Amino acid sequence: MVKEEVKNDVSKLTFEQAIKELTAIVGKIEQGEIALGDSLQQYEKGMTLIKHCRKILQEAEKRIEKIASEQDSGKS
Amino acid sequence: MANQKLKIYTVSQVSTLIKTVLESNLPARLTVTGQISDWKLHSSGHCYFSLKDEGAVLPCVMWGSSFKKVKFKPENGLAIFGTGHIDVYSPQGKYQFYVESMQPAGVGALQLAFEQMVKRLQAQGLFDEAHKRPLPRYPERIGILTSESGAAFQDIVKSIFDRWPCVRLYFYPVPVQGEGAAEKIASAIRDVNQRNDKLKLDVLIVGRGGGSLEDLWAFNEEVLARAIYDSKIPIISAVGHEVDTTIADLVADARASTPTKAGVVAVPDRREVLEKLTAVERRLAGEVGSLLELAGQRLETICASSVFRNPLLPVWNHQQQLDEMGGTLGELMRDMLAGAREKLREIYEQVVRLEPHRLLGRNEVAVNDLRSRANAAVTALLGRAAMQLTAQENRLAGLNPKAVLKRGYTITMLKQTGTVVKAAADVQMGDLLMTELAGENLIESKVIKK
Repeated sequence: MVKEEVKNDVSKLTFEQAIKELTAIVGKIEQGEIALGDSLQQYEKGMTLIKHCRKILQEAEKRIEKIASEQDSGKS
Repeated sequence: MANQKLKIYTVSQVSTLIKTVLESNLPARLTVTGQISDWKLHSSGHCYFSLKDEGAVLPCVMWGSSFKKVKFKPENGLAIFGTGHIDVYSPQGKYQFYVESMQPAGVGALQLAFEQMVKRLQAQGLFDEAHKRPLPRYPERIGILTSESGAAFQDIVKSIFDRWPCVRLYFYPVPVQGEGAAEKIASAIRDVNQRNDKLKLDVLIVGRGGGSLEDLWAFNEEVLARAIYDSKIPIISAVGHEVDTTIADLVADARASTPTKAGVVAVPDRREVLEKLTAVERRLAGEVGSLLELAGQRLETICASSVFRNPLLPVWNHQQQLDEMGGTLGELMRDMLAGAREKLREIYEQVVRLEPHRLLGRNEVAVNDLRSRANAAVTALLGRAAMQLTAQENRLAGLNPKAVLKRGYTITMLKQTGTVVKAAADVQMGDLLMTELAGENLIESKVIKK
């Protein structure tokens, strides 16, 4: 798998999805279920996922939007 | 008849008199306490009942318009305070207590109503754990339903952003007390559910700040309870102070004891999660590092084995065997010569012991005979030894692979790899070959036909 492709896939994940994949990777490596070559690849993906999660957490936009009933404001 | 003039009253006159007496002797409005009995809620909406104590019974009426305002459910045996006025109901010749408002005698009306509501809704399964929806672990969008003016909104927002600022908040203002508030909040919940394919909210927070039981009453109303129960989006209730529990709290999928605790329930702690990520990072690196080390060790072990350290060892072993054989042969030859010499000496000594000079006269022939016999024996021994030596020499020469070359055989090798060609299959068309002839002469050639 090309490195660039991995990075793009990961950056589209939500925090919850990223954590789920990360947990799976760590589990696989710890169980010893994969060959050495694959585990290096998974390690790289794991690091990319961790980086992505950290990035999400450090984005503190603190956005608040107002929504109201459709009948009141005619907004959707 | 006597001079007595008997006053004859009509029924109506008596009735009117009694009414007058009542009106002048009883306050226009009074509060009476007693136990409800014979309770009847007529289809017209009016209530007919009696208030009684140990000694007496007071018939009561409550018009529907007044009864509407009663929040609790009156029932037989319940002690109440009734406020209203007493009047004569002429058509039936009785006095009645027209009750305008009533309160439970033991606890507050609202408190009683709350307890009755909890029992009823619980029996209907509205508070069942099994029905409660799980909250998302890492919500991305949170809807907040609360008053625009209260402090609750700011408290909720702060409690969330302090822990998990990477979330988007959506504010839907609603009234949180007063007439119709419960219905408006319920309607807002249904509205958000309906639009959620566009809004994509993960969880809702419904709440308000602290207040009296009256202030919080909207969150005890059935219409709101049902809207929370039916909501497909999970709902967190965040109402009032720590000690306040409302019906909304019991129905909701999760409860924050106050609006300031909403964040703790709704979102995780960013710092904790960052720490966990670092721990995972270390674990991952550690695991892979161990795997690499293990592989490295295995590689080293393989490299350290004699096969890799000394690839020529098998060749040298054979060479050594050859050398040893040569040495052995030389020794064998020496031993044989030494043996032959020994033998010769023995024979000589035998001859000497025979004292040949005394025997000489008579045994000249015998001496000559012996001499020739000794010569013959020695010659024979030496001859045999020489033959054996030659035989071994030939054997050794025969073992030398290169001796074969003297007889005209050659060794052909692939020039590129130096491997010996034993069969036509070992070469390809066009391969370059090296051929070794006797005397270490080499010629180079190319395969043109096979």
